[in-house]
Amino acid sequence: MAGQSPGTAVAKPPHAQPADPGDAFVLETTALTKLYPGRVTALDGLTVQVTPGITGLVGANGAGKSTLIKILLGLLEPTRGRARVLGLDCQRDASRIRALVGYMPEHDCLPPDVTATEFVTHMARMSGLPAVAAKERAAESLRHVGLHEERYRQVGTYSTGMKQRVKLAQALAGDPRLLLLDEPTNGLDPAGRGAMLELIARIGAEFGISVVVASHLLGEIEQICDHLVAVEAGRLLRSDTIRSFTQSSQVLLVEVETGTAELADALRCDGLDPRLSGRGLLVPMDGDMTCDVIRDAVAGLGLPLARLEQRRHRLEEIFRDEPVPAGQPNTRASTRAGTEVSHVS
Amino acid sequence: MSADATGVIHDLGYQRYDGGRLGRAQIVRTLTAYSLRAAFGLGRGAKAKIVPVSAFALMCAPAIVNAFVVARGGARAFPYDTYSAPVRMIIMIIFVAVQAPELVSRDLRSRVLPLYFARPLRRGDYPVAKFTALATACLIMVEVPLLVLYAGTIASAHGGGAVWAQTRALLPGLAVGLMWAVTLAVIGLAIASFSGRRAYATGAVAIYFFLSLALAEVLIGVAGDGTTGARLGGLVSPLTVLDGVRQWLGGTSPGPVPAVGSYGAAYGVMLLAACGAGAAVLAARYRKAGLA
Repeated sequence: MAGQSPGTAVAKPPHAQPADPGDAFVLETTALTKLYPGRVTALDGLTVQVTPGITGLVGANGAGKSTLIKILLGLLEPTRGRARVLGLDCQRDASRIRALVGYMPEHDCLPPDVTATEFVTHMARMSGLPAVAAKERAAESLRHVGLHEERYRQVGTYSTGMKQRVKLAQALAGDPRLLLLDEPTNGLDPAGRGAMLELIARIGAEFGISVVVASHLLGEIEQICDHLVAVEAGRLLRSDTIRSFTQSSQVLLVEVETGTAELADALRCDGLDPRLSGRGLLVPMDGDMTCDVIRDAVAGLGLPLARLEQRRHRLEEIFRDEPVPAGQPNTRASTRAGTEVSHVS
Repeated sequence: MSADATGVIHDLGYQRYDGGRLGRAQIVRTLTAYSLRAAFGLGRGAKAKIVPVSAFALMCAPAIVNAFVVARGGARAFPYDTYSAPVRMIIMIIFVAVQAPELVSRDLRSRVLPLYFARPLRRGDYPVAKFTALATACLIMVEVPLLVLYAGTIASAHGGGAVWAQTRALLPGLAVGLMWAVTLAVIGLAIASFSGRRAYATGAVAIYFFLSLALAEVLIGVAGDGTTGARLGGLVSPLTVLDGVRQWLGGTSPGPVPAVGSYGAAYGVMLLAACGAGAAVLAARYRKAGLA
């Protein structure tokens, strides 16, 4: 084993010296492009910054999420562009990045014939922890993911939900600064999904570990994220905080029994942007005065008001709305949570 | 898994790890040790121990028989450089055919490789660790019986001169054992790394070694004693190549290959080429074997 320094050669803990204290981004890409052989474009000039906290990376299957994660781990070389994780360059400092990042792949990655404890301990050692510490942290991690009782059972006997937890535990065992989770709720039933999301939320909030969750289920990860990055066909669709999404997604539904068209015209004159939705109008909230304006407009026209209620767009609508050219009718009603993000046609 | 249970548990809080971390080289060493243990079924279930433990016992059997023979006043029953050639060839083929897949096919099958490559290890570190582990395991399989043979012999030896003679005979035997370990490990792993199905990988390794060995013996037999064909026939199988190199380097005991004479160098070249090819295949395999 070349390059081995004599003695114990225990390196300084990576956290003791943050890669770059001035760097506020946990990850940052600049015009990142990845072309696979056969002219498949997985990433197409993706430029995005992610701040600490829980970030959702959403996009349809094939949007480039997994490719991005592999580049961030230094496992794939980008064709063009640059990527930095925790202030370190993904190509130059891949080894250091990988010591600071925990990765939970999308697919099965557990050998069936070892116990969860043995497996997570081994993986903690592969993250560079000495034997005793690896054992302790493996037990801790399995406890955090709720597998304390079952940890001496062979992984092959576990349910899908328990296997997902072991995958999370092995990512957590090395005490990462950043967790990259690729579709962590894959294959789980609704209860399992809820528990997994709760766990991820806790890791982000209480453990102080930044998390990037890749998912094609927007309705699901919007519950736990501080920040959302939407990608489509390898391009950035939108990147923003959940707060700004939620603020911009407050809408009022106005239904009048007759005269919907006149009301729409009147509201447009008042500077609002009503859109026809089913039998009513969806009016984006523009401050507290919006309700008053609508009330006055309805009263002024003398229309019979049937309904006036506040509504939140589901985020997938926001993402969909963005690229829709102006003038195109948009009459999508709120969709239920958990709907898959699909390509804009 | 009730939410309550985890709720109570997590109140103990998350602890940061502030201790030291091992460097990449030490991680490779850890993986090597882990794989070496796995090569003998340690840290695995009882089933995983059946083949390596019985193979080891069978390998030692001739040396133990020798101890009784020598104790009754007989001469040493087996030479150090060839040991019991048929026993060694058959047992080692079985050992490598079963344990090389244990080290590499299992990880392919369970798709655990992305987890290794998402850690500080580099691509090339993984096959290096696996090779070191299997070569060490083979070394233990080959050399420990030689040491038992030696111990059993000198236990009944009279005088320092006799012990010294045994020691001098042993050392080339140990060197031959090292060649065996390296060659079998690199070829076995190169073949096994192509299948995640352990049964296929085991079959492929066993078929390659057994068929090539049979072919070599047929070629040698057909060509007839003393002919050039007989001398070169051994080049087709790694095990007979090892025997040819042993003779080329001065091994005098009769082995599976008839006296190689002036063709010894060809066996040397062949051995280097075979090991080089195995290493190249292994390296290319893990450069490619991606995250998918």
